[in-house]
Amino acid sequence: MPEKPLVIDSLTFKYKTRPELALEDVSLELKQGELLLIAGSSGCGKTTLARCINGLIPRSYRGERSGKVLLHGREVADMPIPEMAQVVGTLLQDPERQIVASNVFNEIAFGPENLGLPRGEIISRVDQALSRLKLEYLRERETFNLSGGEKQKVALAGVLTMNPSILLLDEPLASLDPASAHEALEVFRSLADEGKTVILVEHRVEDAIEAKPDRLLYMEEGRIKYLGPITDLPKEIDHTQVKLPAPWVVRRVKAQGATVKEPPKPPVQERGDPLVVFEDVSFRYDSDLPFILENVNLKIFPGDLIAVLGPNGAGKSTLVKHAIGLLKPTSGRVLVEGQDTRKLSVAQIARTLGYVFQSPTHMLYAPTVQEELEFGPKNLAYDPMLIPKFVNESLSTVNLNGFAEYPPLGLSFGQQKRTTIAAVLAMRSKILIMDEPTAGQDFANYTHFMNTMCDVSEDAQSVLSANFAATLFITHDLDLAVTYANRALLFGDRRIIADGKPQDVLKDEELLLKYRVRPTSLLRLNLSLLPQTGRFLPAESLAAYAP
Amino acid sequence: MLVTWKYRPRNTFIQRLDPRTRLLFFFCVIFGLTLPDIWDYRVILPLFAMSLTLYLLARIEWKDVKRVWLFIFVLVFMIVGLNALLSGRGGPASVTNTASPVVFEVLGIDVTIAKIWFALTQVVRMITMTLLAIPIPYTMDPNIYGTAFRKLGSSDKVSFTMDLAFRFLPTFARDFTITMDSQRARGYELEKVKGGIASRLRKLAPLIIPVVMQSTVTGEEVIDAMDLRAFGTNPRTWIKADDLRYKFADYIMLGLALILLVGGFVLRFGLGIGEFFIPDFFTNLFL
Amino acid sequence: MNNSSTWEFGTRQVVYGAIGAALYGVLSWASNFVPLPAAGNVTFRPAVAVLIFFGVAYGPWVGFLAGFIGNTLGDAISGWGFFWNWSVGNGLMGLVAGLVAAQIKDFRAQGDIVKAVIYGIVGVAVGMLFASFTEMITSGIDFNTALVGYFVPAFIGNAVVTVILVPILMIAFAAVASRRGR
Ligand SMILES: Nc1ncnc2c1ncn2[C@@H]1O[C@H](COP(=O)(O)OP(=O)(O)OP(=O)(O)O)[C@@H](O)[C@H]1O
Ligand SMILES: Nc1ncnc2c1ncn2[C@@H]1O[C@H](COP(=O)(O)OP(=O)(O)OP(=O)(O)O)[C@@H](O)[C@H]1O
Ligand SMILES: [Mg+2]
Ligand SMILES: [Mg+2]
Repeated sequence: MPEKPLVIDSLTFKYKTRPELALEDVSLELKQGELLLIAGSSGCGKTTLARCINGLIPRSYRGERSGKVLLHGREVADMPIPEMAQVVGTLLQDPERQIVASNVFNEIAFGPENLGLPRGEIISRVDQALSRLKLEYLRERETFNLSGGEKQKVALAGVLTMNPSILLLDEPLASLDPASAHEALEVFRSLADEGKTVILVEHRVEDAIEAKPDRLLYMEEGRIKYLGPITDLPKEIDHTQVKLPAPWVVRRVKAQGATVKEPPKPPVQERGDPLVVFEDVSFRYDSDLPFILENVNLKIFPGDLIAVLGPNGAGKSTLVKHAIGLLKPTSGRVLVEGQDTRKLSVAQIARTLGYVFQSPTHMLYAPTVQEELEFGPKNLAYDPMLIPKFVNESLSTVNLNGFAEYPPLGLSFGQQKRTTIAAVLAMRSKILIMDEPTAGQDFANYTHFMNTMCDVSEDAQSVLSANFAATLFITHDLDLAVTYANRALLFGDRRIIADGKPQDVLKDEELLLKYRVRPTSLLRLNLSLLPQTGRFLPAESLAAYAP
Repeated sequence: MLVTWKYRPRNTFIQRLDPRTRLLFFFCVIFGLTLPDIWDYRVILPLFAMSLTLYLLARIEWKDVKRVWLFIFVLVFMIVGLNALLSGRGGPASVTNTASPVVFEVLGIDVTIAKIWFALTQVVRMITMTLLAIPIPYTMDPNIYGTAFRKLGSSDKVSFTMDLAFRFLPTFARDFTITMDSQRARGYELEKVKGGIASRLRKLAPLIIPVVMQSTVTGEEVIDAMDLRAFGTNPRTWIKADDLRYKFADYIMLGLALILLVGGFVLRFGLGIGEFFIPDFFTNLFL
Repeated sequence: MNNSSTWEFGTRQVVYGAIGAALYGVLSWASNFVPLPAAGNVTFRPAVAVLIFFGVAYGPWVGFLAGFIGNTLGDAISGWGFFWNWSVGNGLMGLVAGLVAAQIKDFRAQGDIVKAVIYGIVGVAVGMLFASFTEMITSGIDFNTALVGYFVPAFIGNAVVTVILVPILMIAFAAVASRRGR
């Protein structure tokens, strides 16, 4: 009689370097073939729980642990690593950082190689994993050149070769385009159907629901707040903390009888002289590489709040890097305020156009947040008398007041991200461009931030309208485009496929799917209510219109 | 900026050799030549011919190595050659033997026949070794270094360090490019950085710190990923190990390497051949 | 950063050895493209500070592997070939710097920073002595040439880089470590 795959009994954990408990009195049992979804805001202890299950706690992380974690009836702390590694397979958040081999075959073989299995056995396990995930075509590839989704699948294959009975997936969907995320979720579901116990950590609950989890575990501050079937979720969980499907939000808002917020005024579309113009821009990285952009034409006007959508690797980042002159067109030209970017240095363009890169860790260097924010304005030789004012205003914009003396490298990921945005805000450019401003942040954090930026809620003073003539952001989160943008761009096949009001661009479901953007429940609900609302609204505001 | 491996697979004699053979051969020649302190042109010239042959067999394209050779020639001729010519030291003591006739004088230094011959010998001797060193990155598959080191007897862990370093190299090169772009987008211009050495170095911080700090964070995750797949708990199987097999040509080359290594010592210490030596024809040129 | 033993060699050392090597390789290679300060025949290679830092932060094994493999990689991607004695010299640089790792308690503390820089400079001296003087055997240069042509410029350049950049890296690392703390 095999024991339950996983039993956790009153588990409590405190990291050595932190005073508070990271986990408090967590108890949980999982059956074979069960798929459990774990959700909760950033820092609530999801990863810590995962580390307790896969044995990194207490092995690699120091701290005080009490309670029990039993894998098939055996205490995880007492199992030798090779055995444990064959019971729990773990997929970490960023595949880029967990792939350890230069080519796909070696990566997938890595675990069995470490177990010292014979060569023939390893090869057959690798081939099995490859065919299980339909990845045969990648067998001989270099891992560095894979797309994000492919990396994720290769990392998963590497875990499957250990034949684990429990799979632990810690936020595996970050930075995948919606279609790739969907494919990944289907794979997780089918693995559970094959009898593996699957634990999926993900705060994008709405997306994760596609994997049809049997139960949901919702955590707050290291404790279990809710553990039970998915269907009761709308009652139990706060929709401002976790992203729930739009109809659920509507139901919840109605049930609570909360006063529905007055929907904000639609942003005005002024058409003045364009700020940025792309004229027949074609681009490739090198003469022996294929074209990424082909005859792209685009004008950015004052008042635009543009969302750029499109598949992984389509060339969205490549496109917008042209606007700040980091890349120069192979043919055609890009004009910023009427001047050809070929004739301007990046620093000159930076005065008009601020660019926030995707990952904050790529640019933070200064010993204090204050100095980090002064870096740009100083480089641009702004009046030293004005710089403190710019810095302070940007800090309060992103809600980092009081952090001026902190080292940016010591902040949490979300805070770092906001620091990078503040650093660009402090440069007082006219146009703001953000590459995936919300990636890797939890829902509550990013809605707060986007609301402050875009002024969807009435009370906040809009940062964008106050400081920026136009804004453009790249995102894989269709709902951001639905909620905040007044213009949507769909990019794919080396060109702009569609450009216009979100209502017009996003109504063609087939077109979206073709470019790997999956319609969300919020989009569907908005489309169905469009005759009444006249424009797209956030889920809460829709409650007023929904039947 | 994209890191590209200099390596290109070509079906050449050199690339068909086992990488271990190539490394061992490399070290045997270098140690066979340097440890017994061989300076006799009659020994060096055949070795030079051999190195040149092997270099040509690798069929590296000239455009790939043009810059490297330029640099090496400058180095060899300026620092090494010129110094040998003027000072004559570093090699065998007999070079500075004042009995050698003076050919001309520069800056008050006598340039003797011995010094000229020594400089020539030295340049050829260095290029002999360089000819063996340069093709390695162009002709050895980066994927095989770790396995090759493992099979040469280094430990699982050290060998895997090699593989892992290769794995992360392109990633960090890309991170570095992104960091450079991010800072430029904040108005940072490396070309315009001014001031003394210290302040100019300090102004590189915005480029170096993000890349290094991000890599230290990455490290923690990689450690977890490797521990979770049982790295270092058992003796490892190296899946590529069977691809490395000594074939006939390898045995020939290894035999040759051994002969060269042992030969160097035997010539020098057994037979007394290989010391610095000025051939008569050369002396006669100046008389 | 609890170095239970200076010479421990486990997954941690493998990973940071490799990461240090990849970084050192990339940054050395990047100095081919980035305009760097120079004075006389001394060129400054800021990557050296990264190598010393890895030694200081993660110990002698990591320092050695980062230096040895990193220099080999840097040479390889620049296409220079394989100059084993400079690779070993770079390895020694990291190794000697790494001997201080067990004594570093606080990466922000002035005393610890000074200690790290001193070990770094000693490391630079040892490593560059090794590389320069093996050139005497391999290229047959004389002591003076080795000293003036190779050792002195390499030592000065690397020591200056160490003094200026290693403290900056350590202070930044203190902030990162406080967030991660393992
Ligand atoms: N290695 C560590 N050392 C000390 N404290 C840590 C460590 N890792 C996490 N913590 C702290 O423990 C708490 C729980 O963190 P954990 O990473 O488990 O959260 P999470 O739910 O996974 O968050 P996220 O969604 O941001 O990944 C946080 O306060 C965090 O700062
Ligand atoms: N520096 C570079 N050199 C060569 N090719 C590159 C470079 N940067 C990106 N590419 C390639 O150009 C294509 C477009 O990349 P880009 O980063 O613009 O895509 P993206 O749409 O932003 O994708 P994602 O949604 O994953 O961020 C990809 O195939 C990528 O591999
Ligand atoms: Mg987490
Ligand atoms: Mg992108």
